[in-house]
Amino acid sequence: MSVYAELQAASNYSFLRGASHPQELIERAAALGHHAIAITDRNSLAGVVRAHIAARENVAAHEKGAMRLIPGARLDLTASLAVQDEYSGPSFLCLPTDRAAYGRLSSLLTIGKRRAPKGQCWITLEDVLRHARGQILIALPPAPSALQDEFKCEAAFAAMLEGFAAAAGKMSVPCYLAAHHLCRGDDARRLVRFEAIAQRCGTPLVATNDVHAHDPSRRALQDVLTCIREHCTIDSAGWRLQANAERHLKSGAEMARLFARHGDAVARSIEIADACRFSLDELRYEYPADPISGGRTPQEELARLSWLGAAARWPGGVPDKVRAQINHELELIGTLGYAPYFLTVHDIVCFARRRSILCQGRGSAANSAVCYCLTITAVDPNRMDLLFERFVSAARDEPPDIDVDFEHERREEVIQYIYKKYGREHAGIAATVISYRSRSAVREVGKALGLSGDVVGALSSALRRWGRSDNSGEDDIDDPVREAGLDPTDRRLALALHLTRELIGFPRHLSQHVGGFVITRGPLSEMVPVMNAAMVERTNIEWDKDDLDALGILKIDVLALGMLSCIRKSLGLLAEEHGWNLELADVPAEDPVVYDMLCKADTVGVFQIESRAQMSMLPRLKPRTFYDLVIEVAIVRPGPIQGDMVHPYLRRRNGEEQAVFPSAELEQVLGKTLGVPLFQEQAMKIAIVAAGFTPEEADKLRRAMATFRRSGLVHTFHDKMINGMVARGYDEEFAERCFRQIEGFGDYGFPESHAASFALLVYVSAWLKCHYPAIFAAAILNSQPMGFYAPAQLVRDARAHGVLVLDVDVNSSAWDCSLEVSEKSHKGRALRLGFREIKGFPEVAAARIVAARGGGYRTLADLHRHADLSKAVLERLARADAFRSMGLSRRKAAWEIRALNDVPLPLFATLVDGREEGEHEAKYESGVDLPKMRLGEQVVEDYATLRLSLRCHPVQLLRPELTPRGIVRAEQLVNLKPERRVSVAGLVLMRQRPGTAKGVIFATLEDESGSANVIIWSDVFERFRNVVIAARLLVCTGRLQREGLVIHIIAQQLEDLSHRLDGLVDLGRADGPPASPAELPVISRDFH
Amino acid sequence: MRRVISLWLPRFATDRLSRRQSDWRAEPLVTVCDGGDLDGGGRGGGAVMRVAAANRAAETAAGIAPGLPLADARARLLGLCTMPAEGQADREALAALADWCGRWTPWVALDATGPNATGDATGEPETLIGASHGLWLDVTGCAHLFGGETALVNDLLHRLAHFGFAARATLADTPGAAWAISRYGGGKHRAGAKQGNEVEPSVRKNGRVIAPGKNRAALAKLPLKGLRLGASETKGLERLGFRAIGDLYGIPRGALARRFGDGVMQRLDQALGRADEPLSPRRPVAAQRVRQDFAEPIASREAIAATVQRLLNELEGLLELAGKGARQLELSLYRGDGKVERLMVGTSAPVRAPAHLMRLFADSLDEVDAGFGFDSVTLAASQTQALALTQLALSAAAATETTPTPTTTTPESQNLFEQVGAEEDDGEVARLIDRLSGRLGLRNVRRLALFPSHEPELAVISPVAQSSTTAQAPTAAPPNPAPINTVRLQPSHWPAGRQRPLRLLPRPEAVEAIAMVPDDPPVMFRWRRILHRVVKADGPERIAAEWWHAEGAAPLGGAADSIRDYYRVEDERGRRFWLYRDALYRSGMTPGWWLHGLFG
Repeated sequence: MSVYAELQAASNYSFLRGASHPQELIERAAALGHHAIAITDRNSLAGVVRAHIAARENVAAHEKGAMRLIPGARLDLTASLAVQDEYSGPSFLCLPTDRAAYGRLSSLLTIGKRRAPKGQCWITLEDVLRHARGQILIALPPAPSALQDEFKCEAAFAAMLEGFAAAAGKMSVPCYLAAHHLCRGDDARRLVRFEAIAQRCGTPLVATNDVHAHDPSRRALQDVLTCIREHCTIDSAGWRLQANAERHLKSGAEMARLFARHGDAVARSIEIADACRFSLDELRYEYPADPISGGRTPQEELARLSWLGAAARWPGGVPDKVRAQINHELELIGTLGYAPYFLTVHDIVCFARRRSILCQGRGSAANSAVCYCLTITAVDPNRMDLLFERFVSAARDEPPDIDVDFEHERREEVIQYIYKKYGREHAGIAATVISYRSRSAVREVGKALGLSGDVVGALSSALRRWGRSDNSGEDDIDDPVREAGLDPTDRRLALALHLTRELIGFPRHLSQHVGGFVITRGPLSEMVPVMNAAMVERTNIEWDKDDLDALGILKIDVLALGMLSCIRKSLGLLAEEHGWNLELADVPAEDPVVYDMLCKADTVGVFQIESRAQMSMLPRLKPRTFYDLVIEVAIVRPGPIQGDMVHPYLRRRNGEEQAVFPSAELEQVLGKTLGVPLFQEQAMKIAIVAAGFTPEEADKLRRAMATFRRSGLVHTFHDKMINGMVARGYDEEFAERCFRQIEGFGDYGFPESHAASFALLVYVSAWLKCHYPAIFAAAILNSQPMGFYAPAQLVRDARAHGVLVLDVDVNSSAWDCSLEVSEKSHKGRALRLGFREIKGFPEVAAARIVAARGGGYRTLADLHRHADLSKAVLERLARADAFRSMGLSRRKAAWEIRALNDVPLPLFATLVDGREEGEHEAKYESGVDLPKMRLGEQVVEDYATLRLSLRCHPVQLLRPELTPRGIVRAEQLVNLKPERRVSVAGLVLMRQRPGTAKGVIFATLEDESGSANVIIWSDVFERFRNVVIAARLLVCTGRLQREGLVIHIIAQQLEDLSHRLDGLVDLGRADGPPASPAELPVISRDFH
Repeated sequence: MRRVISLWLPRFATDRLSRRQSDWRAEPLVTVCDGGDLDGGGRGGGAVMRVAAANRAAETAAGIAPGLPLADARARLLGLCTMPAEGQADREALAALADWCGRWTPWVALDATGPNATGDATGEPETLIGASHGLWLDVTGCAHLFGGETALVNDLLHRLAHFGFAARATLADTPGAAWAISRYGGGKHRAGAKQGNEVEPSVRKNGRVIAPGKNRAALAKLPLKGLRLGASETKGLERLGFRAIGDLYGIPRGALARRFGDGVMQRLDQALGRADEPLSPRRPVAAQRVRQDFAEPIASREAIAATVQRLLNELEGLLELAGKGARQLELSLYRGDGKVERLMVGTSAPVRAPAHLMRLFADSLDEVDAGFGFDSVTLAASQTQALALTQLALSAAAATETTPTPTTTTPESQNLFEQVGAEEDDGEVARLIDRLSGRLGLRNVRRLALFPSHEPELAVISPVAQSSTTAQAPTAAPPNPAPINTVRLQPSHWPAGRQRPLRLLPRPEAVEAIAMVPDDPPVMFRWRRILHRVVKADGPERIAAEWWHAEGAAPLGGAADSIRDYYRVEDERGRRFWLYRDALYRSGMTPGWWLHGLFG
């Protein structure tokens, strides 16, 4: 029979104080046979849900005599609001006895957090009293390390407690005094003194152990946390550290022994624990009901809106299949009571449409007929062949999940709308727990142990390498450490590594989720504390999305997507230029010309399928229908790749292999994808139908993959799944592949519904690019930064598609890239680059140039005066060569600008208008002959200011020296014989080392004719390490590999020619000193 | 005609380190520093370690150059040897080198500038990255002493090479021209310059001698950077297409000045000798400095002591006039054969009194090697601090009051004075410490201080007693218990509730004790063969060993082994002891009992 309940335990959600995860505390307390454990983090409830989950699992495992969790908090009070210091006042444990009291505790914390800056909480004694009803309050003795005189501070404490207990007593709030026995030498005497205080104040003593760790072995980590918190090293921390490790979970027997002379103090812990009946399971989440006109129920309203929408979507009458689907879905929604949730999403989407903010929903529930009717998504369920009958599961009480993507530049408007509509009392953004990862952990631990930044850097890289290796056991780290030039047997280093690995995964602070909104009917703050976010005008709650999931709380993800901005801008330009008003769903479907383009992998700028991996997949997959795009989006993901599903699918699709199904039950699951599991839900479904998992287990399996990649849990699932499938007569190898795929999904799951939503954006962006390349290029340039390619490649691609691209010019450009009528260009529209392409150009200056342009600027002085531009801005324009319409070259413009006065005298200026111009002419024309700029210099300057050049590709300038070396152009590769040895040279556009490719590096090189794909095996990489990492201009010699349209070069030799790029300024120059290194910048996407 | 050498030491930082450890010369070696200032963005957070200087091996092997993030450098070259960049040490070494160059000319000026080598370091934050190290030697009228200009340059380079310093030297009419040519006149452009016959054929590889009046031609093809302009000016000019210094020769002065101010013209004129550029000699001159020359060298100790006494008296007057007291004195004794003997003394409080200062010198005068005698003696107050005029007796406390600067007394020394007690004794103690330190050596006179540690043995340390700013010897800090220099000693209060005997036994002594398990105090114990029966006891105070200490400490996780439980006990005769049990009781293990101290 348990004799003790631990009522004071700080988890690592008491940031930089607690040294154990909530789960560890729960598991240990349960193992010790405690009656209950209270998780009492400092001014926070952030860790209670995790503890709750652990406790729930523990109950499931041990059924009888299970230990209970008491969610609570330790309140560290501020002496007064004027002091504004979290820790200047006394501290109490606050344990709510019921749901209402829990709500008051949460509100109390909300008040404290909302009035303090992010990460702090200011609560006073009065605040506590105001929220005390239903709580059990346990006063904590003043901190033992306080430097004041012990007796004096105890007297002050007793006085405070007496007053407080009297006030609390009037409200019949039970008040206790915590007694600690921490082996400080004077414990016996202290306990006697506190017994006296307890008697005087009427606050009975209750034993707690001020738990900061589940096990004494965490002492070192706890000391390091203290150092991190105090910004000191372990050597200088001194008395800020604890003298011993007594603050860990101790057994009931041990506690009874320590408090032998105060026996009732231990017994009292049980009494208090029994009084606290609240469990987080009681947080019955209620979705807010928007007021509905006409007295309809939410369900009626949803049905009404759905049918209304259906009528609009299918003006010619709703197809029967769809009608049945809608009925089915509405029924399911009605059963589960999710109608208000759908209405909320509908409302948000309607708001966005009113503001013409483009948006699209995705998520398991999004691709339903209802969502299509409510215009939440634009994926026609008819077109999708209605695969999603399982869009919400009735069996598992899984909340529906709709994420809505908005244009990335305008999402904030939507967020503020939600705050405004529901109020901050009912809406808040979920938290994201920022945890220590290997890099941050090693840095902090290293600093605390006094290691130099140098050593920490080396350790960090060693850890990275260790983390990448396949079987990273405890001891395998020695080699990487040695490689980094360090001695792994050095004690400090060994300690640092050990502690780093302990610290990894510890929560560091709370941040806000990118856009997960929680909306409640009752006050949000009575469910979970709400705090200020770092961003102004934002508030977020203390729980993250896993916590919310565990408690079944609905959230709506309001996310940002760059491609939506691009599409909206494209559609806007389309309406402007060609008078064609389109919406996402109206874009002509299944256009064969678009699919022709996709089959050629001509997809620079197209959503999702523009990456190199996608591009090499397209010619193999040859998409011809919308569903092919859905597959295309889903197949190039870690899941299918790791599971080795890609090639079987391609073979079957190309008819090289029969689509066979391991069993009839799996044919149901895998029929659409030719027997190969490609989507997340298919993999889960296999676990269910083929391995006999319950849906819950399947989901747990996926989560286990994501969170505990290296823990033993995965192995139990592995065995269970393989055995289950083999037992049901499946091939063991097939089972292994399925499991590996789930492993991949764990990190980057891509369910079919997401793929479908994305596929629509793929199609729309491809359609725009195919038919209106100038419009598409302008829109995507104006939505930067987004996507995979830099402006240089986007512009280059547009030109390759017949679009005339015009330079930035003060007399023609606006901030954004714009379209000009031109016969020479595709569809009669040329693309004029905007001032936004000039690096570091201020947007306001662009606005002034446009506003004051009138009939155009004739001279520099004109521009200077009328547009009121500073010299620095003018110089930037000169560097970008934006004065050509005035007949000024870069250098002439710069020369003249140097002579301008920064502040012209307006009166004087107008008087001598003509004369002043003449004066300038005389100065630069007759006086000085500036050296003429050669092409190489121009290109370097173009790249320096615009990151691109319309004049010439840098590699083309070097071609005369490349050709004699046998280096071919990228466009020639297609005509060369496979397997032969070739050399190409190009700017490095990207270097990638995908986790799925075992150390292989993929690099893309760009020359004047196109781009070439290079594959660098790890042994070649090790030989040419420096070259691969540092080169901007790379020469690659290797074996040509071709499969249809997909061409790779398997690198054998690599050479860094970057210095020739920097030498471009001197190209064609006979004598004189070299220019100071003008580095030609190459933007490369590296190692993502 | 003025003749100036510009000496450039392109790899000074790494060469200096290689002198200390010669096998580094062939290994790739870099110095690294906090690169926070590289972008001029001040010292914000998230600074990256960057390469400050790289030796030839590092550069040729992997193209590692100053400014490269350390992580990148490591990625390029596994096994790269790194050392922290030490700007101060570099500066000191360069200064020493400058002094050494005094053998050719007394007029040596430092030329140590940042990466852009702009010459005017105004405004730009100092950075160690790519720091440039050079010297100017004004050798006007000196060359004939060394066999001509070429011979002088060769001699200079030869000796530097012998020391292991890569160096380039140019002798020209102006500091500016010499600077530009030594830095940018090498490589392929050298050949071009040769055609003009400015170069004497016999000059060493890295040396150049520009004949008088040939500046203009020698500079014409050199890059603009050779003008020591600000980075923005150089860039501005380059942007207009000007590359070489000669490109500017034909530009009208007015047009250039209107656009770039006078700075560009000024530098150009200086390089071409159209404007003067003074060089300031290196050694800073102490404000309070006295000197005595002797026609006949002195060698006896008495004579030297008398001289020092005389100079101290003289110096006192100067210091008094300035309202200062000396914190550090430098006595230089110049020997006839060119060797210089230097004696330094430091004080823990500003002092003027000759008698006190004399005592500080007295002990070390014996060690002076007079050789054939000194012909000149200087005494300089190289560090001073305000000291009130009226003061007659020395009092550290009074000095503290009169000086606003916080360096006078650090908390430790205050602590010391508190322990000593009476205030009027402070000066006595300070003087005593000075004398003892002077006689016994700085590191041999120590005092006791608290150190914040839970482990009783580590909670008291003995830092150097004379803790003045001048006393920080560059030797290594004591290894145990912690690098003291890095630890800020707070005004040490003992944490509440920790009761310790005033003195601990030198080392704990084993006792036999009988106690109840697991953690009751002993009932009786036997120490030095006498049995003590415990009548009163308090405890345990559980102290865990400091796990981060090196060898012998318990491994992580083995918590029970590294714990001591301390008890205060009183025996039947009222004697109080402090003893501890070495570990917790566990099955099969009987921890030992130790007596660690006595109360009262």
